[in-house]
Amino acid sequence: MMGRARMLALFVIGLLVIPALGNAQSAAVRMAITRDEGYLNPYTYQTGYPGWNLMTLVYDPLFYPDENNEPIPWLVREVRVSQDGRTWTLTLHPNLRWHDGRPLTSEDVKFTFEYAARVTHSRWTPTTRNLDGVDAPSPQTVVFRLKQPDAGFRLRTLADVPILPKHIWESVTTVAAARAFTNTVGSGPYRVEEVRDNQFYRLVANPQYFAGPPRVRELILPIIRDATVSFTALQAGQIDTTVRTLTPELVAQFERLPGVKVVRGAGFTSTILQFNDEHPLLKDVRLRQAIANAINTNLMVRLLLLGYAVVGSPGYIHPASPFYAAGLKFDASKARAVALLNEAGYTDRNGDGIREAPNGTPLQFTLLTLAGNPIRIRGAELIRTWLKDVGIGTTVRVQEDAAIIDQVWPDFDVCKGRRFDMAVFGWSAPVMSRPTALVDLFNSDCRVGTINIGGYKNPEIDRLGSQLLTTVEIARQKQISAEMQRILARDLPVHVLFYPDTIMAYRSGAYDRWAFQKGQGIVTKLSFVDRPK
Amino acid sequence: MTRFVAGKGVQYALVLLFAVTLNFALPRMMPGSPLIFLAGEDVGFMTEQQRGQLLQAFGLDQPVWRQYVIYLRNLVTGNLGFSYQQGRPIASIIADRLPWTLVLVGTGLVVGTLVGVAWGTLAAWRRRSALDVGSVGVAMFFDSVPSFWLGMVFIAVFAAGLRWFPIFGATTPGAGLSGWPLLVDMARHLVLPLTTLTLITIPGMFLIMRYSMLTVLGEQYVATARSKGVGERDVMFRHAMRNALLPVATVFMLNVGFIVSGATVIETVFSYPGVGRLLFEAVLARDYPVLQATFFIITVSVIAANIFADLLYPLIDPRVRHV
Amino acid sequence: MSESRAIDTPLFPPARNLQPRRRRFRLGGVGWTGLTLMALLVGAAVLAPWIVPYDPGLTTGEPFESPSGRHWLGTNDVGQDLFSEMIVGARISLSIGFLASTVAISIGTLVGVVAGYFGSWVDAALMRVVDIVLVIPFLPLMILLAAYLGPSFWNLILVIGLLVWARPARVIRAQVLSLKSLDFVDAARALGAPPGRILRRHILPGVLSLSLAQFILAASSAILIEASLSFLGLGDPTAKSWGSILYYAQVRSAFLTGAWLWWVLPPGLLITAAVLGFAFTGFAAEEVLNPRLRR
Repeated sequence: MMGRARMLALFVIGLLVIPALGNAQSAAVRMAITRDEGYLNPYTYQTGYPGWNLMTLVYDPLFYPDENNEPIPWLVREVRVSQDGRTWTLTLHPNLRWHDGRPLTSEDVKFTFEYAARVTHSRWTPTTRNLDGVDAPSPQTVVFRLKQPDAGFRLRTLADVPILPKHIWESVTTVAAARAFTNTVGSGPYRVEEVRDNQFYRLVANPQYFAGPPRVRELILPIIRDATVSFTALQAGQIDTTVRTLTPELVAQFERLPGVKVVRGAGFTSTILQFNDEHPLLKDVRLRQAIANAINTNLMVRLLLLGYAVVGSPGYIHPASPFYAAGLKFDASKARAVALLNEAGYTDRNGDGIREAPNGTPLQFTLLTLAGNPIRIRGAELIRTWLKDVGIGTTVRVQEDAAIIDQVWPDFDVCKGRRFDMAVFGWSAPVMSRPTALVDLFNSDCRVGTINIGGYKNPEIDRLGSQLLTTVEIARQKQISAEMQRILARDLPVHVLFYPDTIMAYRSGAYDRWAFQKGQGIVTKLSFVDRPK
Repeated sequence: MTRFVAGKGVQYALVLLFAVTLNFALPRMMPGSPLIFLAGEDVGFMTEQQRGQLLQAFGLDQPVWRQYVIYLRNLVTGNLGFSYQQGRPIASIIADRLPWTLVLVGTGLVVGTLVGVAWGTLAAWRRRSALDVGSVGVAMFFDSVPSFWLGMVFIAVFAAGLRWFPIFGATTPGAGLSGWPLLVDMARHLVLPLTTLTLITIPGMFLIMRYSMLTVLGEQYVATARSKGVGERDVMFRHAMRNALLPVATVFMLNVGFIVSGATVIETVFSYPGVGRLLFEAVLARDYPVLQATFFIITVSVIAANIFADLLYPLIDPRVRHV
Repeated sequence: MSESRAIDTPLFPPARNLQPRRRRFRLGGVGWTGLTLMALLVGAAVLAPWIVPYDPGLTTGEPFESPSGRHWLGTNDVGQDLFSEMIVGARISLSIGFLASTVAISIGTLVGVVAGYFGSWVDAALMRVVDIVLVIPFLPLMILLAAYLGPSFWNLILVIGLLVWARPARVIRAQVLSLKSLDFVDAARALGAPPGRILRRHILPGVLSLSLAQFILAASSAILIEASLSFLGLGDPTAKSWGSILYYAQVRSAFLTGAWLWWVLPPGLLITAAVLGFAFTGFAAEEVLNPRLRR
């Protein structure tokens, strides 16, 4: 009798659970990625997006950016920060386990940050520079000691560095070995099941994940290098989604496509007209303002992106970012461009259609742009036409990535100077979400303003920047950032053209519970697991 | 004969040395730093010291002549190097890609040659007929069509439009197929690129075969055979065709050398994971070692095919005896 | 795809094998077809500024318009008239073909004549260089130069020229060798005429006509190479060649939107027509001008 009651109970539970499970877990989702990402472990993945995002499906950082790019506690359930902002005490969730079943403890965390400091990784090693030390007083407790308070500590360090299993990585001691290391035992919601060079990756859900089992049992990541091919495959149903943002000309068509959903939102990737702020002519702020006024960014957005973009803010920060200085915008006017040029004494004295500087140098510039990016090339062509209209000559030079970097950002080291006039350039989305973005972009000290590729110098920006770097309070960060943006809007060290929208398309029949991370897209852990409680 | 062989040997050795040196020099002459490929896009946040460390770890800080010595030594020992980008030995990368290219370009070459030979013979047999003139026109047309364009049109019509064939790759990713279904899957992926490749291989073979047939048909011994009353069909197949195949065989063997670099454009259009596409990807990505290794493999295969053709030619054509 | 094309093979063997009169007639047909195609395209290229309905450099419609009375072949990704773009494309594509071919044939003729005339070690050395050039995988070389110099109009010409000269050099060398063995050249040499004069008086006239045929054939190859390189994004994307029109069609998803019917098919057919026209003309010219085939 007992036996029968138990069986009945099991049966009822079964009835309740089975449909729920059926709802909760999709079988397999095919998401096209853009290129090979090594073995998808922290030292072999390749791209900032989507490589880092995919890698964090296999490995967990202590924090993780949520839909609004706010870092939320992930592996940790309790955070205490000392009064001076220099000591962070974190308590890990209990029952964290590696894919091989071993427990994940504070020793692993300590090991990870010491490892990143020792074995160079372009993204993490620099963030360890401000660390005085990491302690593991108990298996669940980690203490970070900072040299000085750091505005970006949560997002740039805690929410970015994936925790490595000590028992696996301690034998890998050199950069070369780490970059050739094929092990993928992590703690994340997915395990790497299959890697096929230049063909696909297969990730399988980790049912024991501490935050609950992932909602998709299997992720297949085919590598499709060609954007058009990936959209064709999506339309034909050969894949379920792609990490790429949909190109503007396809948005309307895909929105009408049965079975396909299109989600759209702000994009934090920027497309900018980068000036060489050290150029003998372009260091004149009036000339930069005139150039910016001659460019019709509204029309550019309509022509090049069919309206699926936001016109650039002169303070660099996207209007949808929490750090945006409210109300800041740039109204271009060709008449003002002409007036500015005339006032500043740039006139066409020899009647060749190109104005000359007072010292006789013609306003003739080279505009660099990246081969393989047709929207930027077309943008450069439009800029050439519009600048010609106000008497400024430009030669568009389309070059490959490495050649552009070689002139704009030699060796990726702004201390090594620059040799270009203007370039249509851009920064990836994560640059925008850093609270310290404006310091990285515009500080005159090349060791601090590490991506100040125009060589812009302004003591006021430097002063505000050093304040910003050590400010932990978010409201105050926003205040300083807004002040910096207003200065930049007058000075225009770069002219932000537009921010293309992030537009993701997917087949909702395969899976429909994607999370949309503002400015970045759907490739986030939150698309597959709930945030830990 | 010995002198001839030695001369050829020196020639090929020179070509090889030149190509190897060029292989070595070209990638290093390219502008831009390999750092982005070692460290990813966030390299801008690194200190000078860290950059140095990274370059050192990969031997890029050594003087160029030392890099060259290391390069030669590795080639001689069959070590093709290591891809920074993909984090694995290049030999294994190429080994992964090679079968796809061999299947695609090999099949295309064989099918294209067979069709070309048959068609060329037919056209020569019916020389100056409407068939001949039409065939020459069609062949010239396909010889003039850009191969990438032909591939694009096929994708538009048969893959994206009619959905008869897949759009990218060599197999359905992660389908976990094996046995017969896997073969069917591979065959479906092969149809469009193979058709494109075959269509652009045929014209060359056709024109060579046709020209060669016409030449042979003008020779004295064919006329003799004819005058002896041998039937036209026998003249064609017994006497003419065998000799006319010689130039086709030569061109075929030289083309074998190009199998490896083969179908860069077609593999690119169809996202087919072969060596040609690897070469293209490596150049775009500035993956120095992969570039060098792929260059090397291509050069070696071209030279090998040349040697092969040299050795085989006297065997199949008794009239040719090198002095 | 080997790096040689079918046009390296002549259509008919030397005359002694076949009845000469009928052959002339047939090749005349090929030649006339080629000349007509060439004349049409060259005409369009020369007259482009007067016959285009719109300036293809200006935005004259909305982006991605379908064909209409206003825009016969629709508009491209920035609202420029595609029909006008294709006519102007003839200018760029044919110019690149002609200029690249000029570079190739200049080098090819020089090398071929020097190697053929002076023979011995000069010949051996130059022919080794030819062998080497024929072995170099040209795609990476092209990218290298494009990366160094920027993918500009002139670089494209230079690079194609530098890659195409080796075959003509071989053909011309063979021609020089056969000219050199002619009795009167032999006699001139025996009489101690200076090499410069022999070259000028006896060799060059026999070579130049052959160079012309080779020039047209090389131009045909150059047009095709330009299209492929531009399509791969290695050409100059700011020059409106047929190849770059196809590049933009490809990257702006013409295949998915159905725009390929008016955005991809016409430029591809134009490339084919140009390559075919040049090849046919080249064959006819070779037939008429090459004494080795005429004999």
